[in-house]
Amino acid sequence: MSSEILIDPITRLEGHGRIHIFMNDEGSVDHAYLQIPELRGFEKFAQGRRAEDMPQITSRICGVCPMAHHMAGTKALDDLYHVDPPPAAKKVREIVYDTFMVEDHALHFFFLGGPDFVVGPTAPKAERNILGVIGKVGLEIGKEVIGVRKELRDLMTEAAGKAIHPVFGLPGGISKPISPELRDRFVAGAAHAVEFGKFSLQVFRDVVLSNAEYVDLVTSEAYTHRTYYMGLMDERNRPNFYDGRLRVVDPQGQEFLSFDPKEYLDHVAEHVEPWSYIKFAYLKDVGWNGFTDGPDSGVFAVAPLARLNAADAMSTPIAQEAYEELFSTLGGRPVHYTLATHWARLVELVNAAERMGELAADPEIVSPEVRTIPTETPTEGIGVVEAPRGTLIHHYETDERGLITRANLIVATQNNAARIALSVDKAAKALVHGPDVDEGLLNEVEMAFRAYDPCFGCATHSLPGEMPLIVEIRDLRGELVREIRRD
Amino acid sequence: MQRSDSPVEGPVRPLVLGLGNELAGDDAVGVLVARALREELDGVADVVESAASGLALIEVFAGYERAVVVDSIVTGRNPPGTITEMGLEDVGRVVAPSLHHAGLPELAAVAARLGLGFPSRTRVLAVEVVDPYTFGAGLSAPVADALDELVRRARDQVRRWETEAACTTTPP
Repeated sequence: MSSEILIDPITRLEGHGRIHIFMNDEGSVDHAYLQIPELRGFEKFAQGRRAEDMPQITSRICGVCPMAHHMAGTKALDDLYHVDPPPAAKKVREIVYDTFMVEDHALHFFFLGGPDFVVGPTAPKAERNILGVIGKVGLEIGKEVIGVRKELRDLMTEAAGKAIHPVFGLPGGISKPISPELRDRFVAGAAHAVEFGKFSLQVFRDVVLSNAEYVDLVTSEAYTHRTYYMGLMDERNRPNFYDGRLRVVDPQGQEFLSFDPKEYLDHVAEHVEPWSYIKFAYLKDVGWNGFTDGPDSGVFAVAPLARLNAADAMSTPIAQEAYEELFSTLGGRPVHYTLATHWARLVELVNAAERMGELAADPEIVSPEVRTIPTETPTEGIGVVEAPRGTLIHHYETDERGLITRANLIVATQNNAARIALSVDKAAKALVHGPDVDEGLLNEVEMAFRAYDPCFGCATHSLPGEMPLIVEIRDLRGELVREIRRD
Repeated sequence: MQRSDSPVEGPVRPLVLGLGNELAGDDAVGVLVARALREELDGVADVVESAASGLALIEVFAGYERAVVVDSIVTGRNPPGTITEMGLEDVGRVVAPSLHHAGLPELAAVAARLGLGFPSRTRVLAVEVVDPYTFGAGLSAPVADALDELVRRARDQVRRWETEAACTTTPP
């Protein structure tokens, strides 16, 4: 009997996804996919609003990465008003953005990805949570994660107005320079963050790399896809989260494209499926060839592992060592193992922390020259940053008064959507056999998408309450055969 | 976020936390309750709005002894506009595929484990909503109708704590 297994969180928290697993008559998985809800109506909502309000408005789209939207929106305004910010303004934007990257990556690794790796994918459910992580790595480390995040968020608040909803980005610059005192705090915060990053990499070595079972899991075929990779790179093809050119490498790791982010729409198109709200980005230059990997499929990936795969090197010394260690351990660049994203995230954490230190040491960062006043008539603007979860694009068009006529956002999860679909499908096929699926196996299927840390498009938040999951097994006629509650 | 820095000795002011995304339809309701109370409770409670989620909220709660949390909820089990009032002990521990979805009990457990302060007395006002996903949609009619009641309940809770505190700290 053919049947469908549906994993459905019935309450809304940070958005909710559903994994559908369709079983064929032989009792094995026919296909599986992740369905992601979306916030609706953004384009209509934006129409007629003042373009200069967009960095504030878009920062409120998402409770998870408001700084990424604020920065992409601000950069889109630079382009819209045809204005180039002074060097100090760019440096302040970048240091604030790097601070955000460190903070967000720290949260993900220890709190969100940690239960899978630090505690272990097959650990009892009751231990596979942040308390389990703390139990494994120690109380002091738990406090350190909270402490570092607080220090970094305080720095962001000081420099950007607010950490949650920043207010400092303006077309042509920022609203206020940073003081020498604040610069000194950034120096200290960066040093602290670098030490934290080094320590986190050591945790990864000690807990994950020293465990053959985990390494086997990371490198298993179930979590492997040979796709293209994209990331924002500096002039020497090293990742830069704030600015640069978009570079794409092929599944062999060879440069396939390198382009100005404003040409994004020349190279990336979107495929639509009837079962998903999300549009699946793919490389136009290769074409859509279905949910498959390899050089003939335009499916690509963004986010930490993709950025490292697309880079020739890292821009800072400790991150460079970590980058080399990752690729030498996992068989050379590119690495196609989705679960290695967790390791790549830590390499980036160190990189962002070191970059914070470099920028804080730059005397120009305290220059009061932080604004170039726009004088030209606004037309169209595109702004791109690397969000923690991957390439984020804001694209605005306005009338001559600067009122939005069209606004389009392409978020990281859209860029990753096709590869995420591949991951869920492949993991389910490899791991699920028959409808009697146990909880541990479902967790391993969920791990396939959790590595990407997909943002479910919603700015929703922490509803205080239980979040039961429902597994529904349905036959082809849609009749419910079995319901399993996970609560 | 403003933290109590009361010039006089005594218990820390309570926290009133409105959660939600003010742009996304009914999801705005928690934020709107916070806004409605901000001026009125000035000096009495710290009124905070937040779109943050899960464990990122741990810092918001740190240091408070009492908190009222106002949030939207989609269970499909109650008519829209229904208000459910809960204590921390009534809110089930989150068991979820992603720790994005940490709920209050887990936050409290992590805070306790790490020695961070977490309000020992937490009241949750959760309102069943219709559409928390549409930008610029505003509140749906049943949720808009529930707004005054939510504001009243949050205010009453703070006032009750205020009275309690006055009874225990005022010299005879």
